Amino acid sequence: MDMKRKKEVCAGVAAEQKEKSQSYAIKCLKKNKMTYAFLIPAIVFTIIFCYIPLGGLYMAFVDYNPFKGIFGSPFVGLENIKTIFSMPALYGSILNTIWLSLLRMCVNFPLPIIFALLLNEVKNQKFKRITQTVSYLPHFLSSIAVVGIATTIYSSSGIINDIRAMIYGPDVQRILFLGQQNFFVPNIVILTAWQGLGWGTIIYLSAISGIDPELYEAAVIDGAGKFKQCWHITLPSISITIMLLFVLEIGNLLASNFDLIYGLQNPYINFEVISTVVYKQGITQGNYPVATAFSFINGLISLVLILIGNFISKKINDVSLI
Amino acid sequence: MFINRMKNEGTAYGVFKVFNGIVMVAVILITLIPYLNVLAKSINDGVDSMRGGIFLWPRVFTLENYKVLLNDSSMYRATLVTIAKVVLQVTGSILLQFTAAYALSRRELWGLKAINIFFLVPMYIGGGLIASYILFSYVGLLNNFWVYVIPCIWNFYNVIIIRSYMESNIPDAVIEAARIDGAQEWTLFSRIVLPLCKPILATIVLWVAVGAWNEWTTTLYYIQNPDLYTLQYKLMQTLKESERIRALMQQAVESGKSVEEVAQGMKVTTDSMQSAQIIIVTLPIIAVYPFLQKHFVKGVTLGSVKG
Repeated sequence: MDMKRKKEVCAGVAAEQKEKSQSYAIKCLKKNKMTYAFLIPAIVFTIIFCYIPLGGLYMAFVDYNPFKGIFGSPFVGLENIKTIFSMPALYGSILNTIWLSLLRMCVNFPLPIIFALLLNEVKNQKFKRITQTVSYLPHFLSSIAVVGIATTIYSSSGIINDIRAMIYGPDVQRILFLGQQNFFVPNIVILTAWQGLGWGTIIYLSAISGIDPELYEAAVIDGAGKFKQCWHITLPSISITIMLLFVLEIGNLLASNFDLIYGLQNPYINFEVISTVVYKQGITQGNYPVATAFSFINGLISLVLILIGNFISKKINDVSLI
Repeated sequence: MFINRMKNEGTAYGVFKVFNGIVMVAVILITLIPYLNVLAKSINDGVDSMRGGIFLWPRVFTLENYKVLLNDSSMYRATLVTIAKVVLQVTGSILLQFTAAYALSRRELWGLKAINIFFLVPMYIGGGLIASYILFSYVGLLNNFWVYVIPCIWNFYNVIIIRSYMESNIPDAVIEAARIDGAQEWTLFSRIVLPLCKPILATIVLWVAVGAWNEWTTTLYYIQNPDLYTLQYKLMQTLKESERIRALMQQAVESGKSVEEVAQGMKVTTDSMQSAQIIIVTLPIIAVYPFLQKHFVKGVTLGSVKG
């Protein structure tokens, strides 16, 4: 197929010519000048906004002097990286990030799977569609609007406090939930679930819709009830999807939702993650080298995790093909 | 036979069905109530709201909160900046991503493998926030409106999705026929390829538009000039500000004053202004939501096939 197209497009190039020979390259370039030209803006953008900042990582290894520039500043080796581990607030943020990620894997990851399985059992198509449409909605709201909604419902005159007053009587003390250190992490989990529950089901529902109905018919003939069908057919059929998505989560271990966390931070809260530290150290305080060193380490570990994830997902895919 | 078996499920399944229905209704309520509550507060008198007890319906109806916001010239300016950001980002993204995807979809071209790897590498490694910040300061993008557009229009993930759509939906024969008819590459792209890509075009336009509308960290990182603030960023500022004011009020209330006393003289309180602002920034999204949802879902399933 590929060869056939090649012959058609680069007409005049002898078919038996080696693919990568120089003359083939030149003829192909000449013949398709415009098509290659289409790629030039994209290549320029990628160089400027993706590759040049990579060079900026050198910042992590210098004692930065704005007047001398990054490459004129004295090289200090791993000093900046050592600084990170001498500041408890900084390495504490790494632990916080991992803690949030583990919570995300244990709570926010399974919720859409459960919800998708439950949705799949709704037999009234109209009701099912309405539930889906409504549950997707929060995904489309900006993170700061979600923070705003949270601020409204948790405020001292908000509905959560109203409900508490209904239960415990009007004299109950109204709590400023967003000012409670203990509530910060649970709140991140709750808001992430609120925003992502419905949206996360799409991929599972499309996997479920791809299951061969004959499997269910066979199971019914074998006497399997609905629960057994779910356990022995639906769940195994989407297990590959589940595993693949879970593996992708591994690569996100050091990632966190900056928007949500920064949006919810206030003077009563002491909870930093890697991305908020990079922002505060780097942009707010102008401590470029330490912030860069921090994101350098973060990027390095993340890259390793992503490569591990990719490796595992390739294995899973291979297994699934057998 | 099959249908009959289906109907003869046990009572356990009957119980489950009821439970499942309750779960679905609960999800709907938990999703909608917070938003409707904000809506009710936005059209309720600010001082009255502070007494609590507003659920889904305003108690003292007023449009004062919106009037104050709409009379604020900085809000007006932020709206213009946001709309310009969305329009330019969409236009730029479409031009850049579709042309690139078209070129990359012609896999028979020499050297594309290397170019693909060149584009793929930045998906895994990047310079991070500070490196971008310094780069932007060198090229004059700090405190510049164009920082909302230029660095954001290239997205290789989108390009992969567009490319795979083109590969499976535009027959080679069509392209060949146009070429034989003497169509130049640009004509071919704009007259034939783009019109054949309408469904994916709609998806990408909406993705970029919603992303550009909702995003606010670019302002936080790179913009200090209040003339260039976006609506989302202004909401963020209001939230941060009101957090402080709320704490002060709480202290005052705890020291013995009544809520009405504390709020005295304040026609609109931060709480209700904030609610109105949340409604303003989310309204455009909600207004086109049914339309959005369809195209977004399509994009997710497309992405999962090839991504």
